Amino acid sequence: MISRYRLGTYSMRVIVYGVLILLLVITIIPIWLLIVNATRSTTEIQQGVSALPSTHLLENFRILESKGINMGRGFANSLFVAVASTVVAVYFGFLTAYGIVIYDFKGRNLFMSFVILLVLIPMQFSIVGFFQYMSRLGLTDNYASLILPLVASAGAVFFAKQYLESVVVRELIDAARIDGASELGIFHRVMMPLAIPGAATLGIFAFVAAWNNFFNAFILISSLEKYTLPMLVQTLRGDVYRTEYGAIYLGLAITVVPIIVMYVFFARYIISGIAMGAMKE
Amino acid sequence: MRTGRLSTTSYGYLFIAPFIIGFLLFGLYPVYNTLALSLTNTTMMTREAHFIGLENFKRLFADDFFMKAVTNSWLIWLLNFIPQIGIALLLSAWFMNIRLKIRAVGMWRTLFFLPNLLMPAAVAALFFSLFSYYGPANQLMVTAGLQSEAIHYLQKIATTRGLLVFIQWWTWFGWTTIIIMAGMTAIPIHLFEAAMVDGASAGQMFTQITLPLLKPILIFVFVTSLVGGMTMFDIPFLLTDGRGSPASSIMTNNILMYLKFSSSKGHIAFASSVGVLVFIMTTVCALGIFYFLRDREGKATAVPETAPASPPGKGRQPA
Repeated sequence: MISRYRLGTYSMRVIVYGVLILLLVITIIPIWLLIVNATRSTTEIQQGVSALPSTHLLENFRILESKGINMGRGFANSLFVAVASTVVAVYFGFLTAYGIVIYDFKGRNLFMSFVILLVLIPMQFSIVGFFQYMSRLGLTDNYASLILPLVASAGAVFFAKQYLESVVVRELIDAARIDGASELGIFHRVMMPLAIPGAATLGIFAFVAAWNNFFNAFILISSLEKYTLPMLVQTLRGDVYRTEYGAIYLGLAITVVPIIVMYVFFARYIISGIAMGAMKE
Repeated sequence: MRTGRLSTTSYGYLFIAPFIIGFLLFGLYPVYNTLALSLTNTTMMTREAHFIGLENFKRLFADDFFMKAVTNSWLIWLLNFIPQIGIALLLSAWFMNIRLKIRAVGMWRTLFFLPNLLMPAAVAALFFSLFSYYGPANQLMVTAGLQSEAIHYLQKIATTRGLLVFIQWWTWFGWTTIIIMAGMTAIPIHLFEAAMVDGASAGQMFTQITLPLLKPILIFVFVTSLVGGMTMFDIPFLLTDGRGSPASSIMTNNILMYLKFSSSKGHIAFASSVGVLVFIMTTVCALGIFYFLRDREGKATAVPETAPASPPGKGRQPA
Protein backbone atom coordinates (compact mmCIF):
# COMPACT_ATOMS: atom_id res chain seq x y z
CA MET A 1 0.00 0.00 0.00
CA ILE A 2 2.68 2.43 1.09
CA SER A 3 5.02 1.38 -1.72
CA ARG A 4 2.25 1.81 -4.31
CA TYR A 5 1.59 5.27 -2.93
CA ARG A 6 5.31 6.04 -3.22
CA LEU A 7 5.45 4.70 -6.76
CA GLY A 8 2.47 6.85 -7.71
CA THR A 9 4.12 9.96 -6.27
CA TYR A 10 7.38 9.09 -7.98
CA SER A 11 5.91 8.61 -11.46
CA MET A 12 3.80 11.74 -11.01
CA ARG A 13 6.96 13.63 -10.18
CA VAL A 14 8.62 12.39 -13.37
CA ILE A 15 5.67 13.64 -15.41
CA VAL A 16 5.64 17.00 -13.64
CA TYR A 17 9.36 17.62 -14.17
CA GLY A 18 9.00 16.54 -17.79
CA VAL A 19 6.26 19.13 -18.36
CA LEU A 20 8.24 21.81 -16.50
CA ILE A 21 11.34 21.20 -18.61
CA LEU A 22 9.28 21.25 -21.79
CA LEU A 23 7.69 24.59 -20.79
CA LEU A 24 11.10 25.94 -19.89
CA VAL A 25 12.51 25.03 -23.31
CA ILE A 26 9.52 26.68 -25.03
CA THR A 27 9.97 29.79 -22.87
CA ILE A 28 13.69 30.17 -23.37
CA ILE A 29 14.30 29.09 -27.00
CA PRO A 30 13.03 32.24 -28.74
CA ILE A 31 14.96 34.49 -26.35
CA TRP A 32 18.10 32.40 -26.66
CA LEU A 33 17.92 32.40 -30.47
CA LEU A 34 17.52 36.18 -30.38
CA ILE A 35 20.67 36.67 -28.32
CA VAL A 36 22.72 34.09 -30.20
CA ASN A 37 21.71 35.39 -33.63
CA ALA A 38 22.66 38.92 -32.60
CA THR A 39 26.27 37.70 -32.51
CA ARG A 40 26.17 35.74 -35.78
CA SER A 41 26.73 36.98 -39.30
CA THR A 42 23.88 36.99 -41.79
CA THR A 43 25.55 34.17 -43.72
CA GLU A 44 25.79 32.03 -40.60
CA ILE A 45 22.14 32.69 -39.77
CA GLN A 46 21.10 31.65 -43.28
CA GLN A 47 23.14 28.46 -43.04
CA GLY A 48 21.22 27.11 -40.08
CA VAL A 49 20.27 27.29 -36.43
CA SER A 50 22.97 27.33 -33.80
CA ALA A 51 22.74 27.23 -30.04
CA LEU A 52 26.13 28.86 -29.56
CA PRO A 53 27.09 32.50 -30.04
CA SER A 54 29.50 33.54 -32.77
CA THR A 55 31.89 36.47 -33.12
CA HIS A 56 30.13 39.00 -35.34
CA LEU A 57 28.60 41.23 -32.68
CA LEU A 58 30.63 44.32 -33.58
CA GLU A 59 30.19 43.76 -37.28
CA ASN A 60 26.41 43.59 -36.82
CA PHE A 61 26.55 46.76 -34.79
CA ARG A 62 28.40 48.55 -37.59
CA ILE A 63 25.83 47.40 -40.15
CA LEU A 64 23.05 48.61 -37.87
CA GLU A 65 24.68 52.04 -37.56
CA SER A 66 25.44 52.32 -41.28
CA LYS A 67 21.74 52.07 -42.11
CA GLY A 68 21.04 55.44 -40.54
CA ILE A 69 18.92 54.24 -37.64
CA ASN A 70 20.42 55.62 -34.47
CA MET A 71 19.93 52.94 -31.83
CA GLY A 72 22.01 54.94 -29.35
CA ARG A 73 19.69 57.91 -29.53
CA GLY A 74 16.66 55.63 -29.36
CA PHE A 75 18.15 54.09 -26.26
CA ALA A 76 18.70 57.51 -24.67
CA ASN A 77 15.15 58.59 -25.59
CA SER A 78 13.67 55.43 -24.11
CA LEU A 79 15.76 55.81 -20.99
CA PHE A 80 14.61 59.40 -20.49
CA VAL A 81 10.92 58.61 -20.99
CA ALA A 82 11.12 55.50 -18.81
CA VAL A 83 12.95 57.22 -15.94
CA ALA A 84 10.67 60.27 -15.97
CA SER A 85 7.56 58.05 -16.15
CA THR A 86 8.85 55.97 -13.27
CA VAL A 87 9.51 58.98 -11.05
CA VAL A 88 6.09 60.48 -11.77
CA ALA A 89 4.18 57.21 -11.35
CA VAL A 90 5.95 56.23 -8.12
CA TYR A 91 5.83 59.65 -6.48
CA PHE A 92 2.19 60.40 -7.21
CA GLY A 93 1.19 56.78 -6.66
CA PHE A 94 2.56 56.88 -3.12
CA LEU A 95 1.29 60.40 -2.48
CA THR A 96 -2.27 59.39 -3.37
CA ALA A 97 -2.02 56.10 -1.51
CA TYR A 98 -0.68 57.87 1.58
CA GLY A 99 -3.72 60.15 1.53
CA ILE A 100 -6.01 57.13 1.38
CA VAL A 101 -4.23 55.09 4.05
CA ILE A 102 -3.51 57.80 6.64
CA TYR A 103 -6.43 60.19 6.53
CA ASP A 104 -10.01 59.38 7.22
CA PHE A 105 -12.00 61.56 4.88
CA LYS A 106 -15.49 61.39 3.45
CA GLY A 107 -15.66 59.47 0.20
CA ARG A 108 -12.45 57.60 0.93
CA ASN A 109 -13.85 54.14 0.23
CA LEU A 110 -15.71 55.39 -2.82
CA PHE A 111 -12.48 56.84 -4.15
CA MET A 112 -10.63 53.59 -3.57
CA SER A 113 -13.30 51.56 -5.38
CA PHE A 114 -13.06 54.03 -8.23
CA VAL A 115 -9.29 53.56 -8.46
CA ILE A 116 -9.78 49.79 -8.64
CA LEU A 117 -12.28 50.26 -11.45
CA LEU A 118 -9.65 52.30 -13.29
CA VAL A 119 -7.09 49.53 -12.75
CA LEU A 120 -9.43 47.00 -14.30
CA ILE A 121 -10.55 49.16 -17.21
CA PRO A 122 -7.68 51.18 -18.62
CA MET A 123 -8.16 54.21 -20.80
CA GLN A 124 -6.74 52.74 -23.98
CA PHE A 125 -10.07 53.01 -25.70
CA SER A 126 -9.92 56.79 -25.61
CA ILE A 127 -6.52 57.19 -27.24
CA VAL A 128 -7.99 58.98 -30.27
CA GLY A 129 -9.70 61.58 -28.11
CA PHE A 130 -6.50 61.88 -26.11
CA PHE A 131 -4.48 62.45 -29.27
CA GLN A 132 -6.78 65.17 -30.59
CA TYR A 133 -6.80 66.88 -27.19
CA MET A 134 -2.99 66.76 -26.98
CA SER A 135 -2.65 68.16 -30.48
CA ARG A 136 -4.91 71.08 -29.50
CA LEU A 137 -2.65 71.69 -26.49
CA GLY A 138 0.40 71.43 -28.76
CA LEU A 139 1.68 68.45 -26.78
CA THR A 140 1.86 65.91 -29.59
CA ASP A 141 5.38 64.90 -30.54
CA ASN A 142 6.26 65.84 -26.97
CA TYR A 143 7.25 63.41 -24.23
CA ALA A 144 4.99 65.29 -21.81
CA SER A 145 2.00 63.59 -23.43
CA LEU A 146 3.51 60.24 -22.48
CA ILE A 147 4.58 61.17 -18.96
CA LEU A 148 1.92 63.52 -17.53
CA PRO A 149 -0.98 61.02 -17.59
CA LEU A 150 0.99 58.92 -15.09
CA VAL A 151 0.13 61.44 -12.37
CA ALA A 152 -3.11 59.49 -12.24
CA SER A 153 -1.80 55.95 -12.57
CA ALA A 154 -4.43 53.77 -10.91
CA GLY A 155 -2.22 50.69 -10.87
CA ALA A 156 0.50 52.59 -9.02
CA VAL A 157 -1.97 53.87 -6.41
CA PHE A 158 -3.39 50.41 -5.87
CA PHE A 159 0.03 48.87 -5.40
CA ALA A 160 1.26 51.68 -3.14
CA LYS A 161 -1.87 51.41 -0.98
CA GLN A 162 -1.41 47.67 -0.51
CA TYR A 163 2.21 48.29 0.40
CA LEU A 164 1.70 51.23 2.76
CA GLU A 165 -0.96 49.38 4.71
CA SER A 166 1.65 46.79 5.62
CA VAL A 167 4.46 49.18 6.59
CA VAL A 168 2.76 52.25 8.02
CA VAL A 169 3.65 53.01 11.64
CA ARG A 170 1.11 55.48 12.96
CA GLU A 171 3.09 56.20 16.13
CA LEU A 172 5.95 57.46 14.00
CA ILE A 173 3.64 59.86 12.18
CA ASP A 174 2.19 61.13 15.45
CA ALA A 175 5.69 61.61 16.83
CA ALA A 176 6.68 63.63 13.76
CA ARG A 177 3.53 65.76 14.17
CA ILE A 178 4.40 66.49 17.78
CA ASP A 179 7.87 67.52 16.61
CA GLY A 180 6.16 70.05 14.38
CA ALA A 181 6.64 68.44 10.97
CA SER A 182 4.17 69.44 8.26
CA GLU A 183 1.91 66.76 6.80
CA LEU A 184 3.71 66.82 3.46
CA GLY A 185 7.03 66.84 5.32
CA ILE A 186 5.99 63.70 7.18
CA PHE A 187 5.21 62.05 3.86
CA HIS A 188 8.59 63.03 2.39
CA ARG A 189 10.83 62.51 5.37
CA VAL A 190 9.16 59.79 7.41
CA MET A 191 6.97 57.77 5.08
CA MET A 192 8.96 57.65 1.85
CA PRO A 193 12.17 56.36 3.47
CA LEU A 194 10.12 53.59 5.08
CA ALA A 195 8.49 52.80 1.76
CA ILE A 196 11.68 52.54 -0.29
CA PRO A 197 11.48 48.75 -0.88
CA GLY A 198 7.90 49.07 -2.12
CA ALA A 199 8.73 52.14 -4.16
CA ALA A 200 11.58 50.19 -5.78
CA THR A 201 9.27 47.32 -6.74
CA LEU A 202 6.69 49.73 -8.11
CA GLY A 203 9.47 51.60 -9.89
CA ILE A 204 10.64 48.46 -11.68
CA PHE A 205 7.12 47.84 -12.97
CA ALA A 206 6.65 51.43 -14.04
CA PHE A 207 10.03 51.41 -15.75
CA VAL A 208 9.37 48.21 -17.69
CA ALA A 209 5.91 49.43 -18.71
CA ALA A 210 7.28 52.74 -20.00
CA TRP A 211 10.27 51.09 -21.66
CA ASN A 212 8.02 48.66 -23.54
CA ASN A 213 5.24 51.11 -24.37
CA PHE A 214 4.63 51.15 -28.10
CA PHE A 215 1.01 52.08 -28.82
CA ASN A 216 0.91 55.50 -27.12
CA ALA A 217 4.36 56.54 -28.32
CA PHE A 218 3.53 55.36 -31.82
CA ILE A 219 0.40 57.53 -31.93
CA LEU A 220 1.75 60.59 -30.13
CA ILE A 221 5.37 60.89 -31.24
CA SER A 222 6.10 61.63 -34.89
CA SER A 223 9.63 62.96 -35.41
CA LEU A 224 12.34 60.39 -36.03
CA GLU A 225 14.82 61.92 -33.59
CA LYS A 226 12.29 61.45 -30.78
CA TYR A 227 11.59 57.80 -31.57
CA THR A 228 11.88 55.47 -28.62
CA LEU A 229 13.24 51.93 -28.96
CA PRO A 230 9.93 50.16 -29.66
CA MET A 231 9.35 52.54 -32.55
CA LEU A 232 12.84 51.92 -33.91
CA VAL A 233 12.23 48.19 -33.66
CA GLN A 234 9.28 48.67 -35.95
CA THR A 235 11.49 50.35 -38.57
CA LEU A 236 13.98 47.46 -38.30
CA ARG A 237 11.56 45.29 -40.20
CA GLY A 238 11.59 47.61 -43.20
CA ASP A 239 13.19 47.02 -46.57
CA VAL A 240 16.52 48.54 -45.63
CA TYR A 241 17.19 45.59 -43.38
CA ARG A 242 15.64 42.87 -45.50
CA THR A 243 18.90 40.97 -45.91
CA GLU A 244 20.71 41.97 -42.72
CA TYR A 245 19.40 39.34 -40.33
CA GLY A 246 22.31 39.65 -37.92
CA ALA A 247 21.76 43.39 -37.57
CA ILE A 248 18.00 42.94 -37.06
CA TYR A 249 18.55 40.45 -34.25
CA LEU A 250 21.11 42.76 -32.67
CA GLY A 251 18.69 45.68 -32.82
CA LEU A 252 16.07 43.57 -31.04
CA ALA A 253 18.63 42.36 -28.51
CA ILE A 254 19.55 45.95 -27.64
CA THR A 255 15.95 46.61 -26.61
CA VAL A 256 15.44 43.37 -24.73
CA VAL A 257 18.74 42.55 -22.99
CA PRO A 258 18.73 45.50 -20.54
CA ILE A 259 15.37 44.31 -19.20
CA ILE A 260 16.64 40.72 -18.92
CA VAL A 261 19.72 41.92 -17.01
CA MET A 262 17.51 43.97 -14.70
CA TYR A 263 15.30 40.94 -14.19
CA VAL A 264 18.26 38.80 -13.16
CA PHE A 265 18.92 41.21 -10.29
CA PHE A 266 15.35 42.07 -9.28
CA ALA A 267 13.34 38.93 -10.10
CA ARG A 268 12.55 38.35 -6.44
CA TYR A 269 11.00 41.81 -6.01
CA ILE A 270 9.09 41.54 -9.25
CA ILE A 271 7.55 38.16 -8.48
CA SER A 272 6.65 39.08 -4.91
CA GLY A 273 5.37 42.45 -6.15
CA ILE A 274 2.89 40.76 -8.47
CA ALA A 275 1.86 38.29 -5.81
CA MET A 276 1.66 40.87 -3.02
CA GLY A 277 -1.84 42.18 -3.47
CA ALA A 278 -3.19 38.70 -3.93
CA MET A 279 -3.06 38.05 -0.18
CA LYS A 280 -6.19 39.01 1.64
CA GLU A 281 -5.74 42.21 3.52
CA MET B 1 -0.90 77.29 16.65
CA ARG B 2 -1.71 78.96 13.39
CA THR B 3 -5.28 79.90 12.83
CA GLY B 4 -7.20 78.53 9.88
CA ARG B 5 -5.16 75.39 10.08
CA LEU B 6 -6.77 72.51 8.23
CA SER B 7 -7.88 69.60 10.32
CA THR B 8 -5.81 66.51 9.58
CA THR B 9 -8.73 64.72 8.00
CA SER B 10 -9.07 67.24 5.19
CA TYR B 11 -5.41 66.72 4.36
CA GLY B 12 -6.62 63.52 2.75
CA TYR B 13 -8.17 65.59 -0.02
CA LEU B 14 -4.94 67.50 -0.52
CA PHE B 15 -2.99 64.31 -0.93
CA ILE B 16 -5.36 62.81 -3.47
CA ALA B 17 -5.88 66.12 -5.30
CA PRO B 18 -3.03 65.67 -7.82
CA PHE B 19 -4.42 62.28 -8.78
CA ILE B 20 -7.92 63.67 -9.23
CA ILE B 21 -6.71 66.64 -11.26
CA GLY B 22 -4.47 64.38 -13.35
CA PHE B 23 -7.35 62.00 -13.89
CA LEU B 24 -9.78 64.74 -14.91
CA LEU B 25 -7.27 66.24 -17.36
CA PHE B 26 -5.67 63.14 -18.81
CA GLY B 27 -8.18 60.39 -18.13
CA LEU B 28 -11.74 61.62 -18.06
CA TYR B 29 -11.58 64.49 -20.53
CA PRO B 30 -10.07 62.28 -23.28
CA VAL B 31 -12.92 59.82 -22.67
CA TYR B 32 -15.45 62.62 -23.08
CA ASN B 33 -13.56 63.92 -26.09
CA THR B 34 -13.53 60.48 -27.71
CA LEU B 35 -17.27 60.14 -27.15
CA ALA B 36 -17.93 63.61 -28.53
CA LEU B 37 -15.69 62.98 -31.54
CA SER B 38 -17.44 59.73 -32.34
CA LEU B 39 -20.66 61.67 -32.94
CA THR B 40 -19.07 64.01 -35.50
CA ASN B 41 -17.42 63.75 -38.88
CA THR B 42 -14.08 65.25 -37.83
CA THR B 43 -11.00 64.42 -39.88
CA MET B 44 -7.44 65.62 -39.53
CA MET B 45 -7.84 67.55 -42.78
CA THR B 46 -10.85 69.71 -41.99
CA ARG B 47 -11.10 72.41 -39.35
CA GLU B 48 -14.84 72.22 -38.87
CA ALA B 49 -16.65 69.25 -37.51
CA HIS B 50 -20.33 68.55 -37.80
CA PHE B 51 -22.51 66.64 -35.43
CA ILE B 52 -23.78 63.63 -37.31
CA GLY B 53 -25.34 61.61 -34.49
CA LEU B 54 -24.89 57.86 -34.66
CA GLU B 55 -23.90 57.86 -38.32
CA ASN B 56 -20.37 56.54 -37.60
CA PHE B 57 -21.74 53.65 -35.58
CA LYS B 58 -24.22 52.74 -38.33
CA ARG B 59 -21.41 52.73 -40.84
CA LEU B 60 -19.25 50.59 -38.57
CA PHE B 61 -21.90 47.92 -38.20
CA ALA B 62 -22.43 47.93 -41.95
CA ASP B 63 -18.68 47.49 -42.39
CA ASP B 64 -17.47 43.89 -42.59
CA PHE B 65 -14.09 44.94 -41.25
CA PHE B 66 -15.46 45.93 -37.86
CA MET B 67 -17.17 42.59 -37.31
CA LYS B 68 -14.03 40.89 -38.53
CA ALA B 69 -11.87 42.80 -36.05
CA VAL B 70 -14.22 41.98 -33.17
CA THR B 71 -14.41 38.30 -34.16
CA ASN B 72 -10.63 38.10 -34.48
CA SER B 73 -10.05 39.73 -31.11
CA TRP B 74 -12.42 37.32 -29.38
CA LEU B 75 -11.10 34.28 -31.19
CA ILE B 76 -7.47 35.09 -30.48
CA TRP B 77 -8.20 35.97 -26.86
CA LEU B 78 -10.23 32.82 -26.12
CA LEU B 79 -7.83 30.48 -27.91
CA ASN B 80 -4.96 31.77 -25.76
CA PHE B 81 -6.81 32.39 -22.51
CA ILE B 82 -8.19 28.88 -22.09
CA PRO B 83 -4.80 27.13 -22.30
CA GLN B 84 -3.26 30.01 -20.33
CA ILE B 85 -5.54 29.63 -17.32
CA GLY B 86 -5.49 25.83 -17.68
CA ILE B 87 -1.69 25.62 -17.55
CA ALA B 88 -1.56 28.20 -14.77
CA LEU B 89 -4.01 26.23 -12.61
CA LEU B 90 -2.15 23.00 -13.30
CA LEU B 91 1.27 24.48 -12.53
CA SER B 92 -0.03 26.17 -9.38
CA ALA B 93 -1.60 22.95 -8.15
CA TRP B 94 1.66 21.09 -8.77
CA PHE B 95 3.83 23.74 -7.19
CA MET B 96 1.65 23.89 -4.09
CA ASN B 97 1.29 20.13 -3.75
CA ILE B 98 2.90 19.03 -0.49
CA ARG B 99 3.19 15.41 -1.55
CA LEU B 100 4.96 16.12 -4.85
CA LYS B 101 7.56 18.43 -3.25
CA ILE B 102 8.59 20.11 -6.50
CA ARG B 103 12.07 21.59 -6.16
CA ALA B 104 13.08 25.15 -6.98
CA VAL B 105 9.50 26.38 -7.39
CA GLY B 106 10.75 29.96 -7.26
CA MET B 107 13.18 29.35 -10.11
CA TRP B 108 10.54 27.80 -12.39
CA ARG B 109 8.14 30.67 -11.78
CA THR B 110 10.87 33.22 -12.36
CA LEU B 111 11.87 31.71 -15.68
CA PHE B 112 8.30 31.21 -16.92
CA PHE B 113 7.54 34.86 -16.21
CA LEU B 114 10.47 36.24 -18.20
CA PRO B 115 8.73 36.61 -21.61
CA ASN B 116 6.17 38.90 -19.96
CA LEU B 117 8.80 41.59 -19.43
CA LEU B 118 10.12 41.68 -22.97
CA MET B 119 9.12 44.53 -25.25
CA PRO B 120 6.07 43.34 -27.23
CA ALA B 121 7.29 45.23 -30.28
CA ALA B 122 10.58 43.33 -30.15
CA VAL B 123 8.79 40.04 -29.46
CA ALA B 124 6.65 40.53 -32.56
CA ALA B 125 9.67 41.40 -34.70
CA LEU B 126 11.53 38.43 -33.24
CA PHE B 127 8.80 35.95 -34.14
CA PHE B 128 8.49 37.60 -37.54
CA SER B 129 12.16 36.77 -38.09
CA LEU B 130 12.01 33.32 -36.54
CA PHE B 131 9.05 32.30 -38.70
CA SER B 132 10.09 33.95 -41.93
CA TYR B 133 10.67 31.77 -44.99
CA TYR B 134 14.41 31.47 -44.42
CA GLY B 135 14.09 31.66 -40.64
CA PRO B 136 15.13 29.23 -37.90
CA ALA B 137 11.67 27.68 -37.53
CA ASN B 138 11.73 26.42 -41.11
CA GLN B 139 15.37 25.38 -40.83
CA LEU B 140 14.68 23.34 -37.67
CA MET B 141 11.50 21.73 -38.97
CA VAL B 142 13.06 20.71 -42.28
CA THR B 143 16.23 19.39 -40.65
CA ALA B 144 14.18 17.39 -38.17
CA GLY B 145 12.16 15.97 -41.05
CA LEU B 146 8.87 17.34 -39.71
CA GLN B 147 8.33 19.35 -42.88
CA SER B 148 9.36 18.32 -46.37
CA GLU B 149 10.02 21.94 -47.36
CA ALA B 150 9.97 25.48 -46.00
CA ILE B 151 6.55 27.05 -45.41
CA HIS B 152 5.44 30.68 -45.69
CA TYR B 153 4.04 30.62 -42.15
CA LEU B 154 3.06 34.26 -42.11
CA GLN B 155 1.15 34.07 -45.36
CA LYS B 156 -1.26 31.41 -44.18
CA ILE B 157 -4.27 32.27 -42.05
CA ALA B 158 -4.09 29.25 -39.74
CA THR B 159 -0.38 29.44 -38.99
CA THR B 160 -0.38 33.22 -38.53
CA ARG B 161 -3.30 33.11 -36.10
CA GLY B 162 -1.81 30.09 -34.38
CA LEU B 163 1.49 31.89 -33.97
CA LEU B 164 -0.20 34.98 -32.53
CA VAL B 165 -2.17 32.83 -30.08
CA PHE B 166 1.04 31.08 -29.10
CA ILE B 167 2.91 34.36 -28.54
CA GLN B 168 0.11 35.70 -26.33
CA TRP B 169 0.09 32.48 -24.34
CA TRP B 170 3.89 32.46 -24.13
CA THR B 171 3.84 36.02 -22.81
CA TRP B 172 1.16 35.60 -20.19
CA PHE B 173 1.03 32.08 -18.72
CA GLY B 174 3.83 32.87 -16.24
CA TRP B 175 2.04 35.97 -14.97
CA THR B 176 -1.22 34.08 -14.50
CA THR B 177 0.61 31.29 -12.67
CA ILE B 178 2.12 33.76 -10.18
CA ILE B 179 -1.27 35.37 -9.52
CA ILE B 180 -3.05 32.06 -9.04
CA MET B 181 -0.30 30.71 -6.77
CA ALA B 182 -0.58 33.82 -4.63
CA GLY B 183 -4.32 33.21 -4.40
CA MET B 184 -3.77 29.59 -3.38
CA THR B 185 -1.25 30.57 -0.71
CA ALA B 186 -3.92 32.73 0.90
CA ILE B 187 -6.25 29.76 1.38
CA PRO B 188 -6.04 28.63 5.04
CA ILE B 189 -4.23 25.30 5.24
CA HIS B 190 -6.60 23.94 7.91
CA LEU B 191 -9.36 23.69 5.30
CA PHE B 192 -7.29 21.14 3.40
CA GLU B 193 -6.35 19.34 6.60
CA ALA B 194 -10.00 19.05 7.57
CA ALA B 195 -10.87 17.76 4.11
CA MET B 196 -8.05 15.23 4.30
CA VAL B 197 -9.34 13.95 7.64
CA ASP B 198 -12.75 13.56 6.01
CA GLY B 199 -11.10 11.47 3.31
CA ALA B 200 -11.42 13.86 0.38
CA SER B 201 -9.41 13.12 -2.76
CA ALA B 202 -7.01 15.63 -4.31
CA GLY B 203 -9.51 16.28 -7.10
CA GLN B 204 -12.34 16.89 -4.62
CA MET B 205 -10.21 19.29 -2.63
CA PHE B 206 -9.38 21.19 -5.80
CA THR B 207 -12.97 21.57 -6.99
CA GLN B 208 -14.60 21.98 -3.54
CA ILE B 209 -12.05 24.17 -1.74
CA THR B 210 -9.43 25.65 -4.04
CA LEU B 211 -11.61 26.76 -6.95
CA PRO B 212 -14.41 28.41 -4.93
CA LEU B 213 -11.93 30.30 -2.75
CA LEU B 214 -9.96 31.38 -5.80
CA LYS B 215 -13.01 33.05 -7.30
CA PRO B 216 -12.01 36.66 -6.64
CA ILE B 217 -8.57 36.01 -8.12
CA LEU B 218 -10.07 34.22 -11.11
CA ILE B 219 -12.43 37.14 -11.73
CA PHE B 220 -9.46 39.48 -11.65
CA VAL B 221 -7.49 37.33 -14.10
CA PHE B 222 -10.53 37.00 -16.39
CA VAL B 223 -11.35 40.68 -16.47
CA THR B 224 -7.81 42.02 -16.90
CA SER B 225 -7.09 39.42 -19.54
CA LEU B 226 -10.31 40.23 -21.38
CA VAL B 227 -9.53 43.94 -21.41
CA GLY B 228 -6.02 43.15 -22.62
CA GLY B 229 -7.36 40.84 -25.32
CA MET B 230 -9.81 43.43 -26.59
CA THR B 231 -7.07 46.09 -26.74
CA MET B 232 -4.36 43.84 -28.18
CA PHE B 233 -2.22 45.84 -30.57
CA ASP B 234 1.59 45.65 -30.60
CA ILE B 235 2.06 42.00 -31.47
CA PRO B 236 -0.62 41.50 -34.15
CA PHE B 237 0.27 44.91 -35.61
CA LEU B 238 3.96 44.11 -35.97
CA LEU B 239 3.75 40.39 -36.67
CA THR B 240 2.88 40.84 -40.34
CA ASP B 241 2.35 44.05 -42.29
CA GLY B 242 0.53 46.31 -39.83
CA ARG B 243 -2.83 45.61 -41.43
CA GLY B 244 -3.54 42.23 -39.88
CA SER B 245 -2.58 40.20 -42.93
CA PRO B 246 -3.00 37.54 -44.25
CA ALA B 247 -6.62 38.23 -45.25
CA SER B 248 -7.24 40.36 -42.14
CA SER B 249 -6.92 37.22 -40.04
CA ILE B 250 -5.11 38.97 -37.19
CA MET B 251 -6.65 42.42 -37.58
CA THR B 252 -7.81 43.26 -34.05
CA ASN B 253 -10.02 46.06 -32.68
CA ASN B 254 -7.12 48.37 -31.99
CA ILE B 255 -5.51 47.73 -35.37
CA LEU B 256 -8.78 48.71 -37.04
CA MET B 257 -8.92 51.82 -34.86
CA TYR B 258 -5.37 52.67 -35.83
CA LEU B 259 -6.06 52.08 -39.54
CA LYS B 260 -9.02 54.49 -39.45
CA PHE B 261 -6.94 56.96 -37.44
CA SER B 262 -3.98 56.87 -39.82
CA SER B 263 -5.93 56.60 -43.08
CA SER B 264 -5.12 59.18 -45.73
CA LYS B 265 -7.93 61.43 -44.51
CA GLY B 266 -7.16 60.84 -40.84
CA HIS B 267 -10.75 60.03 -40.05
CA ILE B 268 -10.40 60.43 -36.29
CA ALA B 269 -14.15 60.63 -35.64
CA PHE B 270 -14.62 57.22 -37.18
CA ALA B 271 -11.62 55.87 -35.25
CA SER B 272 -13.16 57.20 -32.01
CA SER B 273 -16.36 55.31 -32.69
CA VAL B 274 -14.35 52.08 -32.88
CA GLY B 275 -12.86 52.89 -29.47
CA VAL B 276 -16.29 53.66 -28.01
CA LEU B 277 -17.89 50.47 -29.30
CA VAL B 278 -15.03 48.28 -28.11
CA PHE B 279 -15.16 49.99 -24.72
CA ILE B 280 -18.89 49.31 -24.40
CA MET B 281 -18.47 45.70 -25.49
CA THR B 282 -15.58 45.09 -23.09
CA THR B 283 -17.30 46.72 -20.13
CA VAL B 284 -20.52 44.78 -20.64
CA CYS B 285 -18.57 41.52 -20.82
CA ALA B 286 -16.46 42.39 -17.76
CA LEU B 287 -19.65 43.11 -15.79
CA GLY B 288 -21.03 39.83 -17.08
CA ILE B 289 -18.00 38.01 -15.68
CA PHE B 290 -18.51 39.70 -12.29
CA TYR B 291 -22.18 38.75 -12.33
CA PHE B 292 -21.78 35.10 -13.29
CA LEU B 293 -18.86 34.41 -10.97
CA ARG B 294 -20.20 36.31 -7.97
CA ASP B 295 -20.84 34.52 -4.70
CA ARG B 296 -24.22 32.88 -5.00
CA GLU B 297 -24.93 33.22 -1.25
CA GLY B 298 -26.05 36.75 -1.92
CA LYS B 299 -22.82 38.23 -0.62
CA ALA B 300 -21.17 40.35 -3.28
CA THR B 301 -17.75 39.05 -4.21
CA ALA B 302 -15.31 41.39 -2.62
CA VAL B 303 -13.05 41.90 -5.58
CA PRO B 304 -11.78 45.24 -4.34
CA GLU B 305 -10.47 43.71 -1.13
CA THR B 306 -8.87 40.69 -2.69
CA ALA B 307 -7.86 41.67 -6.19
CA PRO B 308 -4.15 41.18 -6.66
CA ALA B 309 -1.99 44.10 -7.61
CA SER B 310 -1.52 44.08 -11.33
CA PRO B 311 1.87 45.11 -12.58
CA PRO B 312 1.24 48.69 -11.60
CA GLY B 313 1.19 51.37 -14.19
CA LYS B 314 1.28 48.75 -16.82
CA GLY B 315 -2.29 48.94 -17.99
CA ARG B 316 -2.07 45.25 -18.44
CA GLN B 317 -2.22 44.18 -22.04
CA PRO B 318 -2.51 40.47 -21.82
CA ALA B 319 -4.80 38.46 -23.90
